[in-house]
Amino acid sequence: MAKTYDYLFKLLLIGDSGVGKTCVLFRFSEDAFNTTFISTIGIDFKIRTIDLDGKKIKLQIWDTAGQERFRTITTAYYRGAMGIMLVYDITNEKSFENIKNWIRNIEENASADVEKMLLGNKCELEEKRQVSKERGEQLAIEYGIKFIETSAKASIRVEEAFFTLARDIKAKMEKKLEASNPPKGGHQLKATEPQRKPTNWLSRCTLL
Amino acid sequence: MGDSLTECMEIFSQDGVQLKTAQASFVNYLNLVGTLYITEYANSNCRRCLEWKPNDVTVDSDVQDQEWAVVNTVQKRSRTYSESLPPDSTIKPKLLKVNFVDIKSFKTSNKNRQLTLFDGKSEIMCCFMFQHGNCDYLITVLRGMLKTIPAKRDKHLFIVIHDESLEAAQLDKSFAELNIFQDPPPTLWKLVKSFHDRPYETTLETFAKVTDYVYRSPEQRDIDDDQRELLHRSLTEYASSHSQGDYEVIAKVPELPERKDYPRGRPLSAEQWKNLQNHEGKIEDVEQIKLMIFRGGVAPNLRYEVWKYLLDYFPWNSTQAERQKLLCEKNDEYYNMKLQWKRMTKVQEDNFSDYRERKNLIEKDVNRTDRTMDFYAGDNNPNLQLLYDILMTYIMYNFDLGYVQGMSDLLSPILHLLKNEVDAFWCFVGFMNKISSNFDIDQAGMKEQLQNLHTLLGFIEPQLVNYLDKHDSGNMFFCFRWLLVWFKRELSYDDVMRLWEVLWTGLPCENFHLLVCVAILETEKQALMENNYGFTEILKHINDLCGKLDVAAVLVKAEGIFHQIKEAEHLTDNIRMILGLPLVGVQQCPEEILSTSPDSPDEDLYERVYDSMQHVMT
Repeated sequence: MAKTYDYLFKLLLIGDSGVGKTCVLFRFSEDAFNTTFISTIGIDFKIRTIDLDGKKIKLQIWDTAGQERFRTITTAYYRGAMGIMLVYDITNEKSFENIKNWIRNIEENASADVEKMLLGNKCELEEKRQVSKERGEQLAIEYGIKFIETSAKASIRVEEAFFTLARDIKAKMEKKLEASNPPKGGHQLKATEPQRKPTNWLSRCTLL
Repeated sequence: MGDSLTECMEIFSQDGVQLKTAQASFVNYLNLVGTLYITEYANSNCRRCLEWKPNDVTVDSDVQDQEWAVVNTVQKRSRTYSESLPPDSTIKPKLLKVNFVDIKSFKTSNKNRQLTLFDGKSEIMCCFMFQHGNCDYLITVLRGMLKTIPAKRDKHLFIVIHDESLEAAQLDKSFAELNIFQDPPPTLWKLVKSFHDRPYETTLETFAKVTDYVYRSPEQRDIDDDQRELLHRSLTEYASSHSQGDYEVIAKVPELPERKDYPRGRPLSAEQWKNLQNHEGKIEDVEQIKLMIFRGGVAPNLRYEVWKYLLDYFPWNSTQAERQKLLCEKNDEYYNMKLQWKRMTKVQEDNFSDYRERKNLIEKDVNRTDRTMDFYAGDNNPNLQLLYDILMTYIMYNFDLGYVQGMSDLLSPILHLLKNEVDAFWCFVGFMNKISSNFDIDQAGMKEQLQNLHTLLGFIEPQLVNYLDKHDSGNMFFCFRWLLVWFKRELSYDDVMRLWEVLWTGLPCENFHLLVCVAILETEKQALMENNYGFTEILKHINDLCGKLDVAAVLVKAEGIFHQIKEAEHLTDNIRMILGLPLVGVQQCPEEILSTSPDSPDEDLYERVYDSMQHVMT
C-alpha cells in the first residue's frame, strides 16, 4: 500500500473545559462550525493531511476532555505527541490563568522537546474580552513559544495556527535528521515515538 | 554485565500502600506510603518477590501512571541489580523485600484494605494498608502465582502451599538440560519459563502471537526467521516432551459452554403494570416486574411512572397514599436545597471558589447538552434553565461530588421524559447513586471498571485481550466514554432509554453493563484484528461505532455471555466477584451460603424467577 504522506505528526489540543478545543479542531479538519457542540468525553482525534513546502504531512490531532478530573486518563495520550496547542478562551480569565498548570502538566507527561503553541480562542467576541492580546503575547514570550489569537466560529487564523505548528515540528525534525544522518537524499522517515523518560525507580536503578 | 546482575521484571505495582508492620530494621518506615511491587528475577532462586518501597519525596508526578496500571501487560522495564552489594546500605530509600517462598500464609482485613503476610510461625512478616482502595486485585494476582487454599475457619486467610518446590527444582534442571537453544536469547528463555510457570496463559499468548503473524501481511511481520524457527522449535519440542502426565493441561484450552440465545421480550405494558399492583397501588411481585423490564424494557408511555421506581425515588412496596406523602416531602426538600444556592450573594460566591468552579462547568455544559433535541433546542429554551437548576441543586445535595462532565448527559433523558423539575432531580439522584463512582475525584471507579472489563473480556475472548495488550490498548481506555455515561453518546435517545432501564434492574448480575461492553467488543473483534489496528485505529474504530449499535442484539449477546460465564467449568472467583456471583473458592456450609446471599440478591432472584417467567413471556 503506497503511503499517502511523507510525515505523520501527532498533535494535541489541551486547555480548560469550554475554551473551544473541539471547535478549533472541527474548523481545521472540516472547515465548519456548529453551535450545538457537545462536551468531549474521553478522547478522540481527527486527521487532516496538509501540504507543506512540497511535503505531504498527515496531522493526527487529538482532542481531550478539559475537566481536571479526567486528567489521569487524558495524560495517557500525551505520549508521542510532537506538538501541543495550549488553548484558552480570551473571554475567560480563569482559562488563561490555568495555562500555567497545563504547561506543568505537559512537562510532567509529554516528551521534553515537544513543540508548543499558545492559542487565544474566541477572538471574535471582542466585547466580552477579559484577556488582552498583550498578556497572551507576554505569556508566550515567557515560555518561549508562539502565540496566535484565533476564532473557530469566525474562522480566523485557525489554519495559520496549525500550519505554523506543523512547520516548526518539521523544521525541528529535519534538523535532527541532518545532525544524525548525513544527507543521502530522498530519505523518508517515520514519526517515531519519542523515548519516554524513565517512569519509576526501578528503571532509575540502572544508573546505580 | 557480569553474572551478578540479575534481570528483574516488574509484574505488578500498586501505589498508595502504607507500611503498617514490619521487622525492626524498618521501624523508620512505618506508616510511610509507598508502592508495592511483585517482581520476578530471571536468574535467581527466589524468583518472585513482593517488594515495597516508600515514595521518594523527589519523585515527580509521572508516578501517576503507575498508580494502578498493572495487569498482564508485562512491563518490560528490565533493570540491572547487583546482588553483591548490600542493598540496605547503598540503595536509598530502602526496599522491603519478601520472597514468595517465605510467605506461608496471608490474610486480608479491614474490608480488604489491609494485607498481612505471615512466615508460618504465627509471626507477622509485614502488614500493608491500601489507601486507594482494596487489595482484592493483588490477592487475585497472588493466588494466581502461589498455590493457596483458603483457611476453613477464616475466609480471609489464605494458606500457601510450597510442596512442589522440589518438583519445581527438578523441572528447572530438566529445562536446563534440554538445552534447546545454544545461546538462548533472553526473550526465548522467558517464554520457556513462562510455559513452566503459567502453562495456560502462555499457551494462549503464544497462539495469539501465531495469529498475529498469520494476520499480518509479509512485510508487516516483524519476527525474523531465526526467531521464528526458534519459537517454532521451542513450542514443538516442549509440547512433545511434556505431552503426558501432569502437564497435559497445556494442550487443552478450557472451553466455554455453548452460547445460547435469550431472545428479548416485549416491553412492560401499561396493562401488565396495572395488573401487578394491588388495590392500594403496591407492587407485590417486584422480582417479576424487574425481570419483565430486564427482558423487554418499559413501554415508552409507561416510563414516566416506572422510572421513578427503577431509580429508587418511589419504593416498590409503597402504596398510592404513601407516594403522595413522599412527593410532598421530596418537593419541600428539593426547594430547600434550591434556595440555598439561589440565595447566595455575589460576595459569598466571590469567596467560594469551589462553588464558582462547579457553577461555571454547569453553565458551559448545559449549553452543549443535547441541543439538537427539540426539547433543548434554540436560544433561551426554558428547559435549559431546568437542566441548569437541577444540576446546581445537585451540587448542594452532594457538594463533594459536585458537577463532573457527563452528568448533564445522564440527566438530560430523565428530564426530557419526566418534564418535572422535582421528579427529575430525585430520579437523577437515584441514577447518580448507582454510578457515582464513575465520577470519583481520583477516577478509581472508572479504573476499576476498565480493569474488570479487561478481566471479563479475557475470559470470553483471550485472543482479543492479548491483541489489545500487544497494541498498547490493554488499559481499555477506548471504552471510557461507553462506561462513563452508559453509552449515552453512542446511542439514539430511544435506545439509550431502553438500555438504561434494562441496566437499572440490576439483572441478571452485577456489572452487567460490562458484559454489554464485552458483547460489543466481541462483535468488533474481527474488524480490529483482521485490519491489524494499532492503538490509534482501535480508539477510532470504537469511537466510530457511535450510532451503529443495535441495542437489542447487543443485549441478547450480553445475556448469552453471562450464561456462558456462569456455567463455565473454569470460572474463577475473580470473575465471580466482578459479577456478584457466590464465591466457591471459599468453602461455605449451607448456613453460610444463606447468610451471604444478600451479597448477590439479583442473581438469585434472576434464577428463581427466570423459569417461571418463561411461560408468562410467551
